[in-house]
Amino acid sequence: MAAEKKVMALFENDTRAASAIEGLAGSPWKLEQVHSPIPSSKILSVLKVKKSRVGYFTLAGGIIGFLSGISLAMYSGIQWNLVTSGKPVIALIPFLIVGFEFTVLFAVFGNVLGFLLQTNLPEFKSLQDYDERCSGEHFGILASCAEGQQEALLAFFQEKGGEARFL
Amino acid sequence: MTAIFSVLVLVGLGAFLFQVSGQHPEKAWQAYLVNFILWSAIAQGGLLFSVVLHVTKARWGRPLQGLAESFAAFFPISFVLFLLLFPGRTFVFPWLGGDLHGKEGWLTIPFLFSRDAAGLLILYGLGFGYLYYGLKLKRGFRDASERTKEEWHHRMTIIAVLYIMAYALVLSLLAFDLVMSADPQWISTLFGPYAFVKAFYMGLGALIIVAALVRIHHRETASLTSSHFHDLGKLFFAFCLLWADFFYCQFLVIWYGNLPEETSYIIQRTMTLPWSRLAWVVFFLSFVIPFVILLNKQVKTRPRFMIGLCSLVFVGIWLEHFLLLGPALCPGADSLPMGMTDVLITLGFLGLMAMAVRFALARFPELLPVQRQEVK
Amino acid sequence: MPAMTYAQVEETVLKTLRPASLKYWAVVSLLFIGILIGAGCWAYQIAMGIGVGGHNIPVVWGTYLINFVFWVGIAHSGTLISAILYLFRAGWRNPIARAAETMTVFAVCIAGLFPFIHLGRVWMVYYMLPYPNERNLWPNFQSPLVFDVVAISTYLTVSSLFWYTGMLPDLATVRDRASGLRKKIYQIASLGWTGRYEQWRHYTRAYLFFAALATPLVISVHSVVSWDFALGIIPGWHSTIFAPYFVAGAIHSGLAMVLTLMIPLRRIFRYEAIITEDILDNIAKTIIFTGLIVGYAYMVEYFLAWYSHNIVEQESFRWRAFGDYSLQFWIMVICNSVVPLLFFFRKVRRSIPWLFFISLLINIGMWFERFVIIIGGAAHDFMPNAWGLYSPSLIEYAIMLGSFSLFFFLFLLFVKHLPSISMTELKEGIHQGGGHGR
Repeated sequence: MAAEKKVMALFENDTRAASAIEGLAGSPWKLEQVHSPIPSSKILSVLKVKKSRVGYFTLAGGIIGFLSGISLAMYSGIQWNLVTSGKPVIALIPFLIVGFEFTVLFAVFGNVLGFLLQTNLPEFKSLQDYDERCSGEHFGILASCAEGQQEALLAFFQEKGGEARFL
Repeated sequence: MTAIFSVLVLVGLGAFLFQVSGQHPEKAWQAYLVNFILWSAIAQGGLLFSVVLHVTKARWGRPLQGLAESFAAFFPISFVLFLLLFPGRTFVFPWLGGDLHGKEGWLTIPFLFSRDAAGLLILYGLGFGYLYYGLKLKRGFRDASERTKEEWHHRMTIIAVLYIMAYALVLSLLAFDLVMSADPQWISTLFGPYAFVKAFYMGLGALIIVAALVRIHHRETASLTSSHFHDLGKLFFAFCLLWADFFYCQFLVIWYGNLPEETSYIIQRTMTLPWSRLAWVVFFLSFVIPFVILLNKQVKTRPRFMIGLCSLVFVGIWLEHFLLLGPALCPGADSLPMGMTDVLITLGFLGLMAMAVRFALARFPELLPVQRQEVK
Repeated sequence: MPAMTYAQVEETVLKTLRPASLKYWAVVSLLFIGILIGAGCWAYQIAMGIGVGGHNIPVVWGTYLINFVFWVGIAHSGTLISAILYLFRAGWRNPIARAAETMTVFAVCIAGLFPFIHLGRVWMVYYMLPYPNERNLWPNFQSPLVFDVVAISTYLTVSSLFWYTGMLPDLATVRDRASGLRKKIYQIASLGWTGRYEQWRHYTRAYLFFAALATPLVISVHSVVSWDFALGIIPGWHSTIFAPYFVAGAIHSGLAMVLTLMIPLRRIFRYEAIITEDILDNIAKTIIFTGLIVGYAYMVEYFLAWYSHNIVEQESFRWRAFGDYSLQFWIMVICNSVVPLLFFFRKVRRSIPWLFFISLLINIGMWFERFVIIIGGAAHDFMPNAWGLYSPSLIEYAIMLGSFSLFFFLFLLFVKHLPSISMTELKEGIHQGGGHGR
């Protein structure tokens, strides 16, 4: 495979960045990454991304949490049969609270786990192909092309209104 | 449409009179009381939606506010219905003539009726005041200056805040006087908030039904989008949870304390036959089913489906009102004292509410969220 | 929101992270001394026994429990602002969300200390953990005190994770403007966040779930704390309204603490253009609402105490208003339900000194509310010959001083080392004149 050259282009607003992405779609160059300081619905819709799957992790966590909470409370009650003022040892009414809190706790664990797994964080290698202004005001697009085409790619980005450079 | 509603009202009235003149007049008055509380709550809670949106300066629900305000048309009817409780007082207040152990100062007919009527007058008066200024602003009144419109808006805000305070106090008072007093030995400090959260839950449900009907009927001209229904559905879900939470708060505290003067009320209604069956039905209809269904996002934006769901919830809450009052009004019942007359009387009240809302929307077309041809 | 640019937002916030002045370190040191005093007194208490505090029969729960409920209460409004107002798409919450959430995390940490402090034999606290042991002791999950353990630990964990995850994009911004060792530290802290579109996609989804999960947590955690009292049968405690009453009270005191923190913060860091007077106005209006709820609860409790004609109940409530602790009672009523009514007047809501002063009064009132409920309930229950009084000892005052010092110490460290305003959310607000993209 021919050596790849990378070009990083910075745009002042997301509309221009989105139109650049659209332009890249029909071109021989490859879109590597898009960086932005805020989540931009324009960019996300142009990239046609699917809905995130983090929710499934959260739901799984919640279900596990509810079952663990209730089971822990029941097990604890059976192990130490303390009858307090005539109440049954296994009583669903107070155990619902324990179940509820565990549901939320484990759902949040699921949420964080899902988030970290899906985004592949923590990860520091990609900081090399990154422009620090992307966390500030600029929307960055990283594209790669084959050897010899980098000038064309640079010109394409500049024509779209971005500030481009080689990486 | 109005013809159908009038027929419903007449059917209800007929059933009521038939039952009252028969062998068991208490059944008629029971149904009357349950329906009075339920339908008044729907109207009071319905208007609260518009009031709260105004006070919080929320913009998402503007088209819905007019529909919510139309429920205020039921207020005069509700007031008359309250006064008409008087002839049935021996059936509706089981503590009449009994030994009240000191509560006689509070639970007397003249005092009860005067304070509740005064409360209703204040609440309904504030509601009408809010509506009055709202309509003035909606009508535009080109000759009114910006300053006057600001003044009206300001007055509306003051009245809105007062309505919210009156809502909490008056609905709590009614709950204590009409429902909690039926078991004079029992108290629950959360009973008032329980009642007015239930009322808002109902008001939202009624608003969804009316909005869905407007959407179905007016199709393209309605300014109600699916995001309105989505947000309304989310609010409805939230208040379903809050209502259930307030029930649980009372249940847990009473269950745990295990004090006989408190637990007898709960045990009668949720753990002994025949009422325990009704309790489970209420739990499923008004909590489990809406909870599970409304977790889904899409379903909230389907008008016809939401009409069905909200109606189901209404049936559940009607049964809940009946459950709270039943063991006190019919002590020692072996089977649930419900019959055809209850259904017919309820239909009568439904007719009254429908007529009131229809009247308001016809008389004040500004309330209807429909794009009109004329330029204002 | 005035039309600021991204660069202006960044500049205003990043400026606050520059090396601090001597005055700052002097205040921090003073607070640290306060913490040492508190810690020292706690060590003394562990060595000498719980009796060095003022607790005794019948008042077995004193300032330690008051402070516990007080700090948990303050934590709740932080989550209200960051999670609940997010779900309501109230854009005015953006400038204060970060600081409010931080307040939550630190307040829960401090609240979590007090159950340990009020234990006589702290070294045996591991008995409360559910694990197989030779004593065959297991916690009784029917007890509201055990609910508390579960609820507070859940709240602490969830709030911290919510706070940290929400900060990742901002930490990346700070990293990108820093150099040297600072850059390395923030690089690790930001987990290598680069703002890629996949990261944002999952982040916004995860944030929504965080907010949706934190919301029922706010209601349930303080309900659980209220049930520490309501599930007992003591008159004045056994009341069904406690759960929503405590939640409303918690938000009431928390919002007041937000004002107490934000007003000096915006002055010192020159955040006036970001944390505008409109936002403070909105907080004040919400305080009216929570104050009315608290006032309603006071009225209903008194009314139903009379209505019930239960002589124990009636005596308990009579004593509260006119008995040995009547001063605390009236401070509570006036500061919590009467004083906030002043916020009905626009002039008061728009006056910074008044906002600050009233916020202090509310917090004093809410502290005394917990005093009236906890001490009042325990001191004056069923049997007249079991009635007794309580006054906090010096040790307890010192530990309380330590807890307040710890809170402000942590908060001061936070504002100088982490971005105290969420730059990302502000930029989003500028971008589309609203909250997070939906």
